[in-house]
Amino acid sequence: MRKLESTVTPPAATAADDIAIRVDHVTKTFAQWQRGSAGAGSIRNLFKTEKKLITAVDDVSFTVRRGEFVAYAGPNGAGKSTTMKMLSGMLVPSEGSVSVLGMSPQKDRIELMKRLGMLFGNRTELWWDHPVIQSYEWKKVVWDIPDEVYRRNLAMVTELLELEELVATFARELSLGQRMRADLGMLLLHEPEVILLDEPTLGLDVVAKRQMIAFLKRINRERGVTILVTSHDMDDLEEMAQRIVMIAGGKLAYDGSFDGLREITGSLTQFAVTVDGGEIPELEGCRLIGGQHGVYEYEADLTKMPVAGLLEKLAKIEGIRDVEIRRAPIEQVIGELYRRWKRNG
Amino acid sequence: MANITPKRFWGLMKIHAQMDLASLMRDRAYMMSWIAADIISNVSSVAGIFLLAWKFDGIGSLDRWEVLFMLAYANVVMGFLSMCGSPNALFVSRIIGRGQWEHMYIMPLPYPTALAMGFFPFTCSSTFVTGAVLMGVSLAQMNLALPWWWGSALVGSIAVSMAIVTALSYLLSSLAFYAPVQCEEIATTVLSSVQHTMSFPLSGMPGYVKYPLLTIFPAGLTAWYPTMLLLGKTGGAGAVYPAVFAVLLALVTSYVFGKGLKYYAKVGINRYSSGGHRC
Repeated sequence: MRKLESTVTPPAATAADDIAIRVDHVTKTFAQWQRGSAGAGSIRNLFKTEKKLITAVDDVSFTVRRGEFVAYAGPNGAGKSTTMKMLSGMLVPSEGSVSVLGMSPQKDRIELMKRLGMLFGNRTELWWDHPVIQSYEWKKVVWDIPDEVYRRNLAMVTELLELEELVATFARELSLGQRMRADLGMLLLHEPEVILLDEPTLGLDVVAKRQMIAFLKRINRERGVTILVTSHDMDDLEEMAQRIVMIAGGKLAYDGSFDGLREITGSLTQFAVTVDGGEIPELEGCRLIGGQHGVYEYEADLTKMPVAGLLEKLAKIEGIRDVEIRRAPIEQVIGELYRRWKRNG
Repeated sequence: MANITPKRFWGLMKIHAQMDLASLMRDRAYMMSWIAADIISNVSSVAGIFLLAWKFDGIGSLDRWEVLFMLAYANVVMGFLSMCGSPNALFVSRIIGRGQWEHMYIMPLPYPTALAMGFFPFTCSSTFVTGAVLMGVSLAQMNLALPWWWGSALVGSIAVSMAIVTALSYLLSSLAFYAPVQCEEIATTVLSSVQHTMSFPLSGMPGYVKYPLLTIFPAGLTAWYPTMLLLGKTGGAGAVYPAVFAVLLALVTSYVFGKGLKYYAKVGINRYSSGGHRC
């Protein structure tokens, strides 16, 4: 396999002003120092330290239209955070160019930052030793947010993110979930048109995660905010985003829908069969994943076995009481993809 | 500071001052301990040298009140710098080394404004206030007939001294762009070395001690030499030396720091781990 190019669908031609994010043949390389261990290695380090050139992002191109909610995914070290940092101007591409809202993150930094919002799951923009509301007031002044806009957005984030209980609390006293909510609220005070989220659900519990996802979907739907999000949790990404851009080994590996991604891995479908009696039903062309007490789970590739054929086989099972068919979890699909990419170098 | 009007800059200073006051007044015990610690620390910073000057009726060519003036001058310089600028602006190697420059990238402000906009007159003013009071005491004791322009010369001299301290801190902090972990605290080392050295009168010291401290490591230009100029103990062409030195140092620093910043944008500094702590 590893015909990665074939999985990338070029975006349809769009008017320039409809593009919120443009990544154009971007390559980012880093020099990584190679050091020996203790003893002779450390002596050698003093005189001749070897450098290894790492290509974190390799000729990646994609665009995100205004109002889109796009997931940016890939295995560890694929180049996701590097891309996010280049989009926010924190890193300069070695080759190629990036633009957000038609502006260069480096050259037009000040103008762009008035219209762009960024949230990194592993850091906070809140003042650590001040109540949350004080950070919000600080942001109002630094971003020069008009009074009316600030009041409206403060009311909106306080209500939707349930911040009322938190605004008077010091940021350092908040739990991770609360802090992320407060950070997200702060992010939205200046009404950014584009939001870059790097691992926003990192470390959050189920409730906090659900709350954050629902909120992000809502601002994307109701306010037309363009969102590019990275996460390790593929199920979260599928729930949030309409489109997924994947990179692997720094290269663009897939750009399209989540269902399209499933088709690449062979459209694996899982189903559970409930039967009376102790015999495990044998289904030709299906793989038994596991099961007990009369409920057995299987996996089938519907590109090889049509649904009608599967239903026919199921109908022949003696004592069958129930069948539940579901799509393969996206985590499993991605896991399979990663394995294939790794196998193929 | 393009696009930043005086009104906007005042607004930025004001919000930081409000936050500073709120921070000091978070609770009574915190406030009382803060003030007590500040008083003890400031009295200690001048006591040692001043008591020596008192005991021996001066050091070198400076009498005891002139020594006090020099110590007060040093406190005014360092105190004003501590009061102004964003948190850690003077200790900029911390911002660089900890990867916190990324917080500044996302602010819609020019970098000089982002660094200069802080103002902490409540929690960080004690050194400045102590210095100003001691300066008043020393001037009263010296009973000098000061010319009309002396006040402007004092303000100008303090500004030059602050420029030298800041430029020195930024020059050496530029190393943190290349070695963030090792140089994260280099500004602390530099400033603490300056602070310790600047408060010692160099009068009567041999040239091999004095001249390096007026050139290579210019701590002598941040209190002792300005004191000599302001009290009329030296002058002539040497009067412009601190200002010329400050301009040259600022130019070199600006070049070196700019190069470092470009390097930072090229390679980044990845010191955040999950939870926001640096590693």
